[in-house]
Amino acid sequence: MAMHGVPQGITKLPPQAYDIPAESGHAEKGPSHHAPGTLVLVFVFLAAFIVYYFVNWKLLSFVWKIG
Amino acid sequence: MNGAFRICPITGLKVHAQADALIKANAVAATVSLLIGGIAAVLVLLTRWQAVHLLPAELFYRILTVHGMSMLIFFILFFEMAVLYFASAVLLGSRVAAPRLAWTAFVLMVAGAVLVEVIMWMGKADVLFTSYVPLQAHPLYYLGIIFFAVGALIVTLLFFATLVVAKREKTYQGSVPLVTFGAATAAIIAVITLAHGAAIYIPTFLWSITRADGSHLLNIDPQMYRLVWWGLGHSSQQINVAAMVSIWYLLGALTVGSVVLNEKISRGAFVLYVLFISMASAHHLLVDPGMGPGWKIWNTSYAMYLAVLASMVHGFTVPAGIEIGQRLKGYTKGLFEWLRRAPWGDPGFSALIFSIVVFGFVGGITGVTFGTEQINIIAHNTLRIPGHFHSTVVSGTALAFMGLTYYLIPLIFRKQVAFWPLARIQPYLFAIGMLIFSMAMTFAGSFGVPRRHWDITFAQAPFDVQFNPSVDLIIGVMAVGGIIAAMGGAFYIVITVWSVFFGKPLEAPAGGRA
Repeated sequence: MAMHGVPQGITKLPPQAYDIPAESGHAEKGPSHHAPGTLVLVFVFLAAFIVYYFVNWKLLSFVWKIG
Repeated sequence: MNGAFRICPITGLKVHAQADALIKANAVAATVSLLIGGIAAVLVLLTRWQAVHLLPAELFYRILTVHGMSMLIFFILFFEMAVLYFASAVLLGSRVAAPRLAWTAFVLMVAGAVLVEVIMWMGKADVLFTSYVPLQAHPLYYLGIIFFAVGALIVTLLFFATLVVAKREKTYQGSVPLVTFGAATAAIIAVITLAHGAAIYIPTFLWSITRADGSHLLNIDPQMYRLVWWGLGHSSQQINVAAMVSIWYLLGALTVGSVVLNEKISRGAFVLYVLFISMASAHHLLVDPGMGPGWKIWNTSYAMYLAVLASMVHGFTVPAGIEIGQRLKGYTKGLFEWLRRAPWGDPGFSALIFSIVVFGFVGGITGVTFGTEQINIIAHNTLRIPGHFHSTVVSGTALAFMGLTYYLIPLIFRKQVAFWPLARIQPYLFAIGMLIFSMAMTFAGSFGVPRRHWDITFAQAPFDVQFNPSVDLIIGVMAVGGIIAAMGGAFYIVITVWSVFFGKPLEAPAGGRA
């Protein structure tokens, strides 16, 4: 039930992992560790990291010339 | 009174009256510090924006010092003290160990903060946040910091004492919750930090006292000052990181019922912070001629990367925990239904996500890159550095604290959040503003614009310095981002102050449960 001025996590505390009912199929073996969306975000992060790191070495090469 | 508990009708947590009151007091002190630091931030911003250039040079450095101390030390540490009481006494259902000592510590911290603020505003400590020797402030400035640090150290020790009390009185079963474990690592780093603080500020206090003949009571080697000071300066920001990550786990559980993927991995990552974060302080001295390359490379590569690894572990496990929690609720379509259907109108959730994204993508990537010795030479002392730490400490830590506040107001203050529609957009405003601000700073720094500089046109200087013409535009974008973020910060202060002092009392909602 929504309540003005109160975050929804308080008016309706979401089920915690240990509350997941048995019929969901997760209770016996614990919650699934399948997080494909997060994995995609990790690769986006990795790509951003590589690009930024490379760009900085390139910038360094402009001011610190060898030879 | 010391033994009085109340049962939270929403969470079922047993809340000790003293913990309740100490959390409130520290949260209010944090908000006052944020207000002072926020006003200083706007003044600094309007001066760095060359088109406005508001303050004269002398006032600029004074206000910049006020901004640094009020935000990085007073706001953050007062809030962290509240987090320590919450993560120990409240989460473990325990009484606070030695509440009188806790109040003494609070008074000491307030007295120290007030003393430092007064001295700074009087213009007796225009030494910036780092107060590098031989820049000299009034002795009371250093004494105020020592008072504040001693108070914080007492609270940290009381945190551990409360864990012992909870264990002995069997207020919980099994291991402490992950959030408490994370707070414990923050507390351990706090002890390391404050030890460095004592090691440098006590001698500096004695150095700042001059005899009648003008000589110092004690001499300080500036090189040694910089080395030991960063054991305080950087480690204090790592208390923030550990506390922020703990809050990520807490907000994930509260907002969407996120899952902890693997307790051992998450706890192991927290331990990595304790072991390696202090050595990572060396990256502040990468262009310091007094340190050898071996020392720099060891501390900023192998040691620092293990601390970075910890952040990357948390940066994966927290969103993955959110995703799994959402998928368990049935949001399983495609790759991102769990994210689309998340409670974006809950300021606790939006603050959590923005905190993770900006901290990781902007703060994390720039931080690791600048921590490389060779690259540091082109970033050091430019606007890229404040661009980096505004995306970690402000967009990361402060935003996480703001998100948690929207839960603390109903749970601890037992008030409804005032101006609720404004509260729902406040994290967006703050995060977007800070993102624009940080990225513009980083770009400006890439063109060589110096940090901490009053006038980058170098008017009346004996030499001419020309920046790329695009710098004017980038600085303008930085100013717009900063003003948007300042509005977000102002909304946060108005919402919290109004809620706490004039807000409607909260009745237990029907959906709540023990």
